Amino acid sequence: MVVAALALFVLYPLLVAAAAPRAEDWLRALTTARWRVTMLNTLQMAALSTISSVIIGFLYAYAVTRARIPGARLFMLVPLLPLITPPFVSGLAFILLFGRRGLVTYELLGLNTDIYGWHGLWLAQTVSFFPIAFLAIAGVLRSINPNLERASESLGAGRWTTFRTVVVPLAAPGVGAAALLVAIAVLGDFGNPMLIAGRYRVLATEAYLQISGWADMRMGAVLGLALLMPAIAFFFLQRRLQGSSVGRFVTVGGRGSRIEPAPVSPMARWGLFTFCLLIALFMLAKYAVILLGAFTPVWGVDYTFTLDNFRRVVVRGPELWNSLRFAGSAALVCAVLATISAYLVYRVKVPFGRALDLVSLLPAAIPGTLLGIAYVLAFNTPPLQLTGTATIIVISMVFSYLPVGYRIAAATLHQLAPSIEESAADMGASSMRTFFDVVLPLISTSFSAALVYCFVKAIGTLSAVVFLISHGTVVASASILNLAEQGYWGWAAALASLLVGIALLTLGVAKLVFGRRFAFFDI
Amino acid sequence: MPEGSAERPHVEIRDVSKTFGHVVAVDRLSLDVATGSFTTLLGPSGCGKTTTLRMLAGFYDPDAGDILIGGVPQQGIPPNRRNVSIVFQDYALFPHMTVLQNVSYGLKFRRLDKAERDRRVSRVLEFLGLDALEARHPHELSGGQQQRVALGRSIVMEPHVLLMDEPLSNLDAKLRIRVRAELKEIQRATGITTIYVTHDQDEALSLSDRVAVMADGRLQQYSEPWELYHAPANRFVADFVGYANVIPGRVLERGAGTATVLVPGSNTPLRCLDPASRAAAGADVGVMVRPEWFTLSPADEKAAITDGVVLIGEVRSGSFLGAFVRAFLEVPGIGDPLVVESTVTRQDQMASGTRLRLCLPHDRAVLVD
Repeated sequence: MVVAALALFVLYPLLVAAAAPRAEDWLRALTTARWRVTMLNTLQMAALSTISSVIIGFLYAYAVTRARIPGARLFMLVPLLPLITPPFVSGLAFILLFGRRGLVTYELLGLNTDIYGWHGLWLAQTVSFFPIAFLAIAGVLRSINPNLERASESLGAGRWTTFRTVVVPLAAPGVGAAALLVAIAVLGDFGNPMLIAGRYRVLATEAYLQISGWADMRMGAVLGLALLMPAIAFFFLQRRLQGSSVGRFVTVGGRGSRIEPAPVSPMARWGLFTFCLLIALFMLAKYAVILLGAFTPVWGVDYTFTLDNFRRVVVRGPELWNSLRFAGSAALVCAVLATISAYLVYRVKVPFGRALDLVSLLPAAIPGTLLGIAYVLAFNTPPLQLTGTATIIVISMVFSYLPVGYRIAAATLHQLAPSIEESAADMGASSMRTFFDVVLPLISTSFSAALVYCFVKAIGTLSAVVFLISHGTVVASASILNLAEQGYWGWAAALASLLVGIALLTLGVAKLVFGRRFAFFDI
Repeated sequence: MPEGSAERPHVEIRDVSKTFGHVVAVDRLSLDVATGSFTTLLGPSGCGKTTTLRMLAGFYDPDAGDILIGGVPQQGIPPNRRNVSIVFQDYALFPHMTVLQNVSYGLKFRRLDKAERDRRVSRVLEFLGLDALEARHPHELSGGQQQRVALGRSIVMEPHVLLMDEPLSNLDAKLRIRVRAELKEIQRATGITTIYVTHDQDEALSLSDRVAVMADGRLQQYSEPWELYHAPANRFVADFVGYANVIPGRVLERGAGTATVLVPGSNTPLRCLDPASRAAAGADVGVMVRPEWFTLSPADEKAAITDGVVLIGEVRSGSFLGAFVRAFLEVPGIGDPLVVESTVTRQDQMASGTRLRLCLPHDRAVLVD
């Protein structure tokens, strides 16, 4: 059943999308200057944002894991916010901060500048996605045995030499893998380019405009597929890098008393502290300005306090309710599928396990834009005519975030020693009973984690659903985009604040209910 | 490079203390280590031995006291400026470098010409039998080979002091004994002053010129292995090194480093060693006897014994260990059963229920508390 679902809702639509364009569409895409520029822009933006994200992510991760800066635990939490809140919050916030009527640019500095364009997008993407790099690199740095640095020092190397000859080469594969994760996220992002890129065109938004503006499904598919190719390449490269770093740098020598990492020089420590403080404050400012916008009648003109925006978005529109409903259903289905899939791969060890593992993770590499286009192409005719329904939105959410749930479930099941099940079976439990009595309680925590995480991701998702919504099924994220485009900043900010609030509340409740067992991101 | 002068000990630890939060890891430790010697810090986990080693390496600075190497105070000198080298318990080999790169890593920071560097590296690789493995990465080596690379990486530096933190604990039991012998030989051949940390008493006794037993951050005894075993300074050392039977006794008379003590079950006083001068006439003391110090004979044996005290006991249980039998003997008046080890010539000699005559020889038992 899981396999069938994956085949039907991941592989089949992709194949339909791949088959949709004709040869002349490809030719047109490659020969038209506009599309060539778009493709180059997309790659350029991915490269720029990845480089800045990795540099910031590395420094931030080094500061909190190795440099022992004061308040490291607190600093560790701040970059997690963008991971659980929709990326387009950055775009929205930067318009409010640095836009034509921006709080900083217009009010404070009296400038008449403009955030719209490649530099604004670069900033938004860096702030939205450097946390991915941070998280991955923090994991890598923590996995490096501090004794190695101590050994290097003891052999006569100074701090900088040790960093250069021991830490950097050991972290390199992991940092490379982190960079690819960021690149995939930037390639596929739709909300920020839509909001802030101005006339700077990237594939995700152009594909959308082709379809919504010109109803040119085939060109949309071409552009979506053009996005898929580098994403898939990065996805496989990332898997290989991760695999190779585990293979080569697996800890040798076994256990031993580990010493804490050597302290860095006071200058470096305070430098890194200042750096982290600035980044963290900047990120918090992003949320603060959204909240401020939500209570402001007319941004840039009238800053009196109002609750009107909230009243309007909650009372008038069904968007928020739709988002809750769809994301809730999607999270449930997603967590179930993810758990079953992980169980099949890691416990039952089905013969096609490697393929199942790959397909469960593959949606992580599929840009939402392409997934949306593929769903429109695949499910607009009987027998599976789903376009325009709520079902297709839920399904798109399920498969967009399946990899997220699957990773969480797999991590738990991987740790669970087979001997636990074996000892239950040894005492006479049938394999059904073993599953219900032993395995299920153990994986229930990971199930809840998958559920919560899928929910907070799904409630802010944009790039795929934007193709799938119709009059009755508008969701909050799409609505925010619409409102922002039309300049209703107050409403957009109010809706965005509610989404962020719901995500944080959900996590907070989960943390309260499950306590320490509920560990996101290994922190 | 300044060498430690012959008169002065090579490493001097002077009243050193180190506290982490509320935990006193090392408490006023003083120790002199002679040039070229093999010295072991022995103790249970948490006794402060590893912290001491890390202070010698320069990873921590002492809160109080001084560490001198070759007469030079080390306070404030960072690890990379100290001419000491450390072998970690988990070896800490650089996983991204080959054996050759690992071993030559430290020499890059010395002002040596390339020829001299290569000569030293290849000499060490050859000496340790690693020359055929020089192109391999650590994960392609066995545990014993990794251990040797870690050692090679340190001794190629020709350090004034070589520090080793439980270097054998990740090897299996058989390999451990072989590498232990190698280690001793290498140390003797190179003559490098070595300070070794372990919780394994066998390692400490077999490797060391001198052993410093530590507990709760404090030095308990610092002496040669032979003395440690035969004249432990206190109950802790007696228990930690080898097995200790402690028999309650009362002091009759004290002498210079000796005492005569009355033990339960005998009217003859026993002449004991009292290295720590604990005895005061009439005091209750603990008399420590090692399991193999007893001489056993059948209970009905009548031959007079003049060189010790005779006790009568009954075997509760015995286990055959090949070379000898270890038995638990119940002796009236002595609470815990005595553990006795003896070679036997007949299978039933120490069967359960057998009554035996035990002779405790004079001038062996030690007052421990």
